Amino acid sequence: MVSPIFIIAGSLGGAFLLGLLRDPWRGASYVISLLVLTFTTWLAGSWLWALSSGAVTPVEILTAGTQPPFAVNLRLGIAEAAMVLLINLTGLLSALYLKDTLFKQGRRAMAVLLIFSMALSGIVMTRDLFNLFVFFELTVISTGGLILLSRDPRALAAGFKYLVASQVVSILMLVGIIFAYHATGSLNLDDMAAASAALLRGGALAFFLVFIAVVAELKVFPANGWALDIYESAHPAFSALVSAAAGSASLVAIDKLLQIGGPAWMDVASIIGIVSFVGANLFALAQRVDRRLLGYSSVAQIGLILFVVGQQDILGERYLFVAGGVLLAHAVGKAGLFWLSGLVAGRDLTAWSALRGNPLLLFAFASFLALLIGLPPFPGFYAKWELVHAIAAHDHLLELALLLFGALVEAGYLYRWFGYAIKREIDHEPIAPSLYKRAVVCVAVLAGWLLAYVWGELSPHDNLLHAVPVLFALAFLALEWLPARVKNALAIAGLLGWFAFSYPAYDPLQLIFALIVLAGGALILLASFHSDGRRLGFYPSAMLMYAGLAMLIVAEDSFNFFAAWESLTIGSYFLILRGRQSEPHALSYLVFSLGGAFLILAGFALAAQGNVQFLLVSLAEVAEPLAPWVFALLAVGFMTKTAAIGLHIWLPGAHAEAETDVSPMVSGILLKAGLFGLFMLLMTMGRQELYGVDLAHVMMWIGALSALLGNLMAAFQEDAKRLLAYSSIGQMGYALFGLAMMNHLGWLMALMFVINHYIYKSMLFLSVGGVAKRTGTRAMYQMGGLITLMPLSFIAVLIGIIAMSGVPPLSGFGGRWIFYNAIMTSEYRLPMILIFVSGPIAFLYLFRLIHSIFLGQLKDEHRRVKEAPFWLVLPQMIYVVCLLVFALAPGLALRRVDAYISNFLPQGALSWEGLTITSEFGYWSPVSIMLIVGVIFVVIFAWLLFVNRRAQKVKQFNIVFAAERPYRPETTHYAWNFYAPYKKALGFLAWPVFERFWAAVTDLLHTLAELLRRIYTGNGQVYAIHLLAFVVVVYLLKEGL
Amino acid sequence: MQFEWIMVPYSLLTLFIVVNYGLLLTALMQKIGARVGRRHGIPIWQNYVDLIKNYGIRSSITHGVMFYLGPVFRLTGGVGLLLFVPTLYGSEMFSNLSFAGDLILALYFIFFGSLGMALGAGESGHPHSAIGVSRGLSQVTTAELPFALAVFAIALQYQTLSVTEIVAAQQGSVWNWTLFTNPLAVAAAMLSFLGSMMRPPFDVVLAPQEIPIGPPTEYHSSYLALMQTNRVIFPIAKIVVYMNLFFGGAATWPVFFLKVFLIYFFSLFVGVVFPRFRVEQSVRWFLVWALPLGIAAILVV
Amino acid sequence: MDLIAMATGFLLILIGLFGALTNRNILRMIVAFAVANTGVNLVLVSVGYMTGRTAPILDSAVPVAEATARVIDPVPQALVLTAIVIGVGVTALMLAYAYRLFKTRGTLDISRYTDLKW
Repeated sequence: MVSPIFIIAGSLGGAFLLGLLRDPWRGASYVISLLVLTFTTWLAGSWLWALSSGAVTPVEILTAGTQPPFAVNLRLGIAEAAMVLLINLTGLLSALYLKDTLFKQGRRAMAVLLIFSMALSGIVMTRDLFNLFVFFELTVISTGGLILLSRDPRALAAGFKYLVASQVVSILMLVGIIFAYHATGSLNLDDMAAASAALLRGGALAFFLVFIAVVAELKVFPANGWALDIYESAHPAFSALVSAAAGSASLVAIDKLLQIGGPAWMDVASIIGIVSFVGANLFALAQRVDRRLLGYSSVAQIGLILFVVGQQDILGERYLFVAGGVLLAHAVGKAGLFWLSGLVAGRDLTAWSALRGNPLLLFAFASFLALLIGLPPFPGFYAKWELVHAIAAHDHLLELALLLFGALVEAGYLYRWFGYAIKREIDHEPIAPSLYKRAVVCVAVLAGWLLAYVWGELSPHDNLLHAVPVLFALAFLALEWLPARVKNALAIAGLLGWFAFSYPAYDPLQLIFALIVLAGGALILLASFHSDGRRLGFYPSAMLMYAGLAMLIVAEDSFNFFAAWESLTIGSYFLILRGRQSEPHALSYLVFSLGGAFLILAGFALAAQGNVQFLLVSLAEVAEPLAPWVFALLAVGFMTKTAAIGLHIWLPGAHAEAETDVSPMVSGILLKAGLFGLFMLLMTMGRQELYGVDLAHVMMWIGALSALLGNLMAAFQEDAKRLLAYSSIGQMGYALFGLAMMNHLGWLMALMFVINHYIYKSMLFLSVGGVAKRTGTRAMYQMGGLITLMPLSFIAVLIGIIAMSGVPPLSGFGGRWIFYNAIMTSEYRLPMILIFVSGPIAFLYLFRLIHSIFLGQLKDEHRRVKEAPFWLVLPQMIYVVCLLVFALAPGLALRRVDAYISNFLPQGALSWEGLTITSEFGYWSPVSIMLIVGVIFVVIFAWLLFVNRRAQKVKQFNIVFAAERPYRPETTHYAWNFYAPYKKALGFLAWPVFERFWAAVTDLLHTLAELLRRIYTGNGQVYAIHLLAFVVVVYLLKEGL
Repeated sequence: MQFEWIMVPYSLLTLFIVVNYGLLLTALMQKIGARVGRRHGIPIWQNYVDLIKNYGIRSSITHGVMFYLGPVFRLTGGVGLLLFVPTLYGSEMFSNLSFAGDLILALYFIFFGSLGMALGAGESGHPHSAIGVSRGLSQVTTAELPFALAVFAIALQYQTLSVTEIVAAQQGSVWNWTLFTNPLAVAAAMLSFLGSMMRPPFDVVLAPQEIPIGPPTEYHSSYLALMQTNRVIFPIAKIVVYMNLFFGGAATWPVFFLKVFLIYFFSLFVGVVFPRFRVEQSVRWFLVWALPLGIAAILVV
Repeated sequence: MDLIAMATGFLLILIGLFGALTNRNILRMIVAFAVANTGVNLVLVSVGYMTGRTAPILDSAVPVAEATARVIDPVPQALVLTAIVIGVGVTALMLAYAYRLFKTRGTLDISRYTDLKW
């Protein structure tokens, strides 16, 4: 092996060599720089490989032929090797990226770049405190030089502010170093660690000064105004270096210092880290400029890693896995985004819409964001999983809450940005054509996915990139060039194939959900045959959602469950975002979903007590006093997905604005994920009491309120798809209510709603979608009289609303019948009242739906409207058949589940003898009902046909009317504000209280961010004062603690 | 219980008796109402005349398929409701087709006819129909509520959902009637009953002076005849449910006729005394006066 | 003696920081930092100083055998040398910045360079 000292020596030598060259030899200089960086990268890489494969052990490098402490020594272990590789690789890529700029600036700039990466490598490797200082100062000087690479004139001032701050830092550091030396008699970090007791007793202030100086180098919030200015104004390639490489190096330095400082100082680092994470993320909310936003995000991420570094005592041997995961994900993601920003011409966040023309770069953007937020399958996901488990196991609940809050805010502003890129008008300035810049971005994407794979392998869990469903979804990325119809066929085959493959392993409950997700998903995909073209981005997102769902129902441990949960959330987010007007709605969907997911994460972490591989069945063994909290966290998390009242505000927009074939997916199928989670939760944890309140009782009230308010709000909608969306809230409320009854029939009813809601909601969304496609509007009052023009859609809606309203003889009645039997044995009666109220309200919106669209007066502009496209009608007709079959023979699906539920709740099972279904209290014979109703209907119909055989079809306006003859359909079609008197009586219940509440919360956060960020006045002296004040405050708090 | 073919003629017999009784009863009620208003009123056989006339009219129009099917739905709802509930207690002959389902079936089948009818009326394109339906649906949301709570209360009380068993539990003495064992539930249900009989103060749905007759505006000739047939069957079918649940049922036809008359008369009695409510008024009225009774009923059971 | 030096050093640091934070003129700030740096160096030297000993130069005056007893700790001296070099580098860089800033805006007032903020 080549000695690692050549990482330092090589760069240094290269820089000197550049100094000897002649100015005009730009090409040669550039080649030398690249060669040097390639060499150091290769060297670091080969050491990392050798160290991680165990071929060599960590090496100590002595200088001047003398043992430490009499000479400086360096060390290269596996962590150092990884960091040095990161630094030099980022340096190499940035050098490639900077080709034009470096050619213009000449060999001096190249030399400074080499010195910069050399200094950072030195910070990582050195074991000598003063040497650390020297490398830091070299970083400062080279930073000062590299800032000038930017074409932005404001960079000059930013650089000067940086120098002012670093002067203050270096004063603190030097004074600290000399007194630390005085206290221990050595500058060697290992010696100091050995003598740490003495140092911390006698020279506490000295250690503090060194420590705080290095912390300040991390640009922690809020003493970091100068750093933000650099991020904003420097060349993006250099910002990438600062964020990824310099940040990482400083973190290694702080880690070294904490070996001396011990647990007390780790706590300080943790607190600074978490404050930085939350604060910077909060401030980032108010940013409109991309690079400054990335700056804030960098500060936050580095704060997070600082927090991890401070938690190393509780992370134990997993420390490197966690810290490495977060750090590398941050480095790759952030560097990638900075490089990407160099391709975008405008600096406003909305300017990133320019990326839209280039799917590859858009994919890069999405990957980087996922890396930053720590979504599966990226390293941050595995790392955060273990981090959260560790801090939950040690009862650091405040940190846990802050961590998750900060992460949620971060996801919020990053995905808002992504929404801008996808949805805003395309920027006029195209993205830069430079090929090698794109190549650099692509390398970062590759690195990100490679890291995802490596971290999956290193984790104790199954590698998510080995999961067949995920791979199947990712495969569609490679197949994007195919026509949509071919991809659709593949997707359907995949869903059905996976169902057939997994079929033998399902238990009855899983089977029901698998049927809905996989077979049902395939059925909805039939409608997607309607779209032509290539439909870029649709299939990877949809299949990612389906993959998540398929993995969710078979997950056995909490990790797989959660990974599946996040996958389906992300997939569905991309899917929803495709809708024409769906930008804000997709965002609120994502924020609520991720918020719910974080609650689930916290719940699992609390339950697991540090055991990162936690079987879901072990939830049953969680003991008091933890159990009810775990239950509450998980339940609220799942209820976010089922859009329980209060957490429902994302749903109407998200479902209504989605594309025609996406609405049934996210409504008919996706909502069931939350119900599945609740099933799982109640089956394992059963009843829980918190402060004497039965949580199942609370859930019952929430379910009943959702049913009531969901239905009521649906009745007041003018938009057909919104009406259906609100109705989903109500329907999920029923299901939640059934589950929370905690009796046999309640659960059966919930399952019945799962099946029914899938069928009729998918069908209705498809029909309404088809109508909206033909008429070009979703406002019901603008339609009317379409029954003769779109008879098949009408039949679908008719069957759908009869089923949904619960009127016999269709399947909705079965749900109501089970409901009545279930409430007979329920312990609580009051919540029933709300359910009773909400039942008839369903008629209101259902009638309005069918009447305003299909009945009443046909409008002039719709006289030539055709039936919905074949591919939209086909699945609807299949659903009609399904509904009829399920109405006649509910036992087909429910019988086995009924038996299965008996394993958990033996009391109250139904008897399925012959054609009649019998409970403890009543009976019901679906086939007989259907036959009797059918016979009566046919007889009366025949009679009417007989007596009325000469009835004459008349025209639209041939109606009885006093004194005038109507001639305008618009004024004759009674449809707008259909329930005006009802609104007068009960409209106050539909006031958007929750919308206002959440709007107030987000407004508050934004206003706070907007106000507080004004502490960054832009004045370099103020920043220096911030820095000093930060030092003093930390010192006082530390001494006070 | 299973289906047997003999049930078909038995059920038809029930239907025949009820139709005739209903024709006479509704005419009688009309007449009583007229006399209260110092009018002479219709002759007692007027309904027969109307029915025959309307079935006989041969000139008719249609607005489309749903319009055509609306009255069919409507009448199917009435006949079905009648046949799903045993008419006479303890009689094999007049238990009709109640083997198909219990009380819950009856409760939900009430909506079958209204829904079909509303759809048919909707296709006529007449705004008055739509307005009537909008009013009717709005009113029913709260009007049915006390009844649903009362049903829940007595189902809890008797621990069954089978109509026959509920009637059986009330036999022996008048004091065993739900009316006396659970007066709160009965009170709530009877208020609800007012709301479903299309009489003042809750007749804003038809509102003859305002939106001619609401939903059926466009119906005429044999359509109207079907609906008139339903209008005599449906109230009785509904009253049978009330009678069975709250007033001890009926074991013989005379008792049946008497009880049905009295229950029907209750709605007439209130109707001739009070003026019409607007929709929002009746919605609030049911929430304020009837709902608390229903809630009390399920809490004290 | 060493205490006086150390106190002077700290005083210089404070004076320097005060100057750097209160003077808006960039050149004055740079000078103030230079003062503070001098103070730091003074502190460094004073920490390493031992009364009555000589400079850590091994020559005829100080034989190797007696060195540990007669010379002061050489490490702070080395540190000071390095720190001075680095300080010169940073000062030079700041002056270069000041020059270019003045060329772009024609002012040396730091409070005028607040285009980047928030």
